[in-house]
Amino acid sequence: MSESPEPLPKLSRNGHALHCIRCLSGLPSSQMEMDASRLALVFYCLGSLDLLGVLESKSSNTDREAWREWVWEQQATGGYGTGFRPSSFMIGAGSNAAEYGEYDAPHLIMTYTALLSLSILRDDFSRLNRAGLLKFLEHCQRSDGSFCSFPNSTESDLRSVYCAFAISSMLDDWSGIDVPLALSFISRCRTYEGGYGQEPYAEAQGGTTYCALAAIHLAVSSPSKSLSTPPLTPAQRRQTIRWLVHNQHASGGFRGRTEKDPDACYCFWCGASLQILDVKALVDTRPLTEFLGKCQFKFGGIAKAPGEHSDPFHTYLSLAALGIYPPEIPEESWRFDTLDPLLNAKEDTARWARDNIPLKPRS
Amino acid sequence: MDTPPALYAEDPAWADVVPIPQYEGVSPLAPIFYTPEYKDATDYFRGILKTGETSERVLELTERIIRMNPAHYTAWQYRYKTLLALGSNLEDELRLMDMYCIKYLKTYQVWHHRRLLVTLLLPAPSTSPSPSPSSNPNPTHLQTSNPTLALLQLQEELDFISRCLSADTKNYHTWSYRQWLLSYFNHPRLWRGEVKWVERLITEDVRNNSAWHHRFFVVFASGHGEKGEDAVREEIAYAKQKISLAPNNASVWNYLRGVLDHTHMPYSTLKSFVEPYTVEQEGRSEDVVDLEDPLPSAGAELPCALAIEFLADVHEQEGGVEAVRKAVELWKSLANEYDTIRKKYWEYRIREALATQQ
Repeated sequence: MSESPEPLPKLSRNGHALHCIRCLSGLPSSQMEMDASRLALVFYCLGSLDLLGVLESKSSNTDREAWREWVWEQQATGGYGTGFRPSSFMIGAGSNAAEYGEYDAPHLIMTYTALLSLSILRDDFSRLNRAGLLKFLEHCQRSDGSFCSFPNSTESDLRSVYCAFAISSMLDDWSGIDVPLALSFISRCRTYEGGYGQEPYAEAQGGTTYCALAAIHLAVSSPSKSLSTPPLTPAQRRQTIRWLVHNQHASGGFRGRTEKDPDACYCFWCGASLQILDVKALVDTRPLTEFLGKCQFKFGGIAKAPGEHSDPFHTYLSLAALGIYPPEIPEESWRFDTLDPLLNAKEDTARWARDNIPLKPRS
Repeated sequence: MDTPPALYAEDPAWADVVPIPQYEGVSPLAPIFYTPEYKDATDYFRGILKTGETSERVLELTERIIRMNPAHYTAWQYRYKTLLALGSNLEDELRLMDMYCIKYLKTYQVWHHRRLLVTLLLPAPSTSPSPSPSSNPNPTHLQTSNPTLALLQLQEELDFISRCLSADTKNYHTWSYRQWLLSYFNHPRLWRGEVKWVERLITEDVRNNSAWHHRFFVVFASGHGEKGEDAVREEIAYAKQKISLAPNNASVWNYLRGVLDHTHMPYSTLKSFVEPYTVEQEGRSEDVVDLEDPLPSAGAELPCALAIEFLADVHEQEGGVEAVRKAVELWKSLANEYDTIRKKYWEYRIREALATQQ
């Protein structure tokens, strides 16, 4: 018998929005480690404002115009095609920022977050170098099917694979990547538990399982790309669903690995994975909401666990989880628009990306 | 010795380098308020990249940047290039990295740099199942030609990883690095000690899923474990024993399921083992010790939801109206009593099982 639930706290929408606005205006020196992934942090802030539905009320037209300009400034073209950099952290004063050399090349994960950020800001993408982007994807793919984060780098894992698939899907052009080769890499990351590890032989983990499942389904669902094979066998699908639902901890939150503590970000990674597998109805939303409610930081933003400090990453992913699993309660503060689980953006933002990023046929 | 000035701008040894400040274009979004030391070092780093200098002082510069921002992947990239250009002693670099791996355990780049170094320091067997992390073929002059020495170095590397894991027993990067090291160098002698080694970690913390995963990787996924029915039986016996000590542990149940799935054994093989775990603890005579199917330990919290789930799967696999009815009863008990957080999942299992029956 279920006990009568304790009342939910309010979701501090304004506090979470202000946390993101504060980060967009500047980060303290304790955040220097974000130097090489700033555009991703920008995406988490903009995405949070988008999910909260306050992008327009918390910023002016001039602000948003300036933000778009900054994101575009990260687009650069060079010998390996076109992509977006994390920030200007490696560009010297006086150089032409639109071109890159050996040590300030664009980054695959940043390129994905740039396209979503610009979609949130409703950019028309007239400045996007689409041919360059395809060339960039091609240069990032390795012979084992995986993708490096930037050309000639040897860093590669499932996150980059997902970003390459998401970019191809947004472009509606898969000619930049070898899809079957990439899919074979993904299947090598599958483990006996039913999840996927960051690379072959590594332990199943919620975030990389999301990357694997979303990538596979992006390829399958693409109108221009019809894969004949089903993404997972029925037995694999059952096993993956089992592993995912077992990651919901008694406290309501999800954990990323078996027997670890729950963490707000896995409410999205595991929750979105279940939606991708078409079984989101299997999640008990009430305890999930209670857990996320407890992760709220008193000065705004959402933390990975109760009592910890907030950051834009956990704030965004918690709100995104609520976009998939809105609690069935009348409380207005917990209401969210629905989310596109494959691209990881609000539905209308994802639609904007799909309508505006592909090369439009000449009319 | 005098301590060097805190800023390169004040250091006469760097007077010949022209620092290049960071590009400032349009109004920045989420700008970071750098410390003066970081701004100074990165200004000089951009200056160095412009001239393409590779020297000892560049190693010092990149190290300083990495200490302030271990995620600075360009500093790592250029440090690696400089080490190669100078023909530096990579063994020394590896020892320096020992410190950084522990200090910046959670940073991807630290471990990646280590992979690059180890790839150059040690010869890879041609039968390596895993692709090299480096796009360049290994320069042979850097490799150890003596196979005994190579094994010794690999063993040292494994020991180093063990030390790192004692600081953080579930660190993802550390574990992936160990899995990469074993599969990349693929040395038969290295594989041999792995099961014993990981057993110690499981004994220390039976809920360490990284350790269980590693065990599965070594015994089954790598293709280098002991082959044959005896080995499988041994793994099942091991898992049973760990279940008897602490039944409410998803790691060991997942392992057990993994072994059965991998070897295509029906779950019903374990039916008589599982059953005592699905009911309340009852008084029993202490002298009955079944080595084949160990009973729950005295303090175990029973019934165990994971055992009930397993038994339901046994019934479902068995098939037929009566077996599925038994499975449904068990799923109902999970949904309503023993695992209510997954109520919707257990109800879904019931619907699915009944649907396949029709």
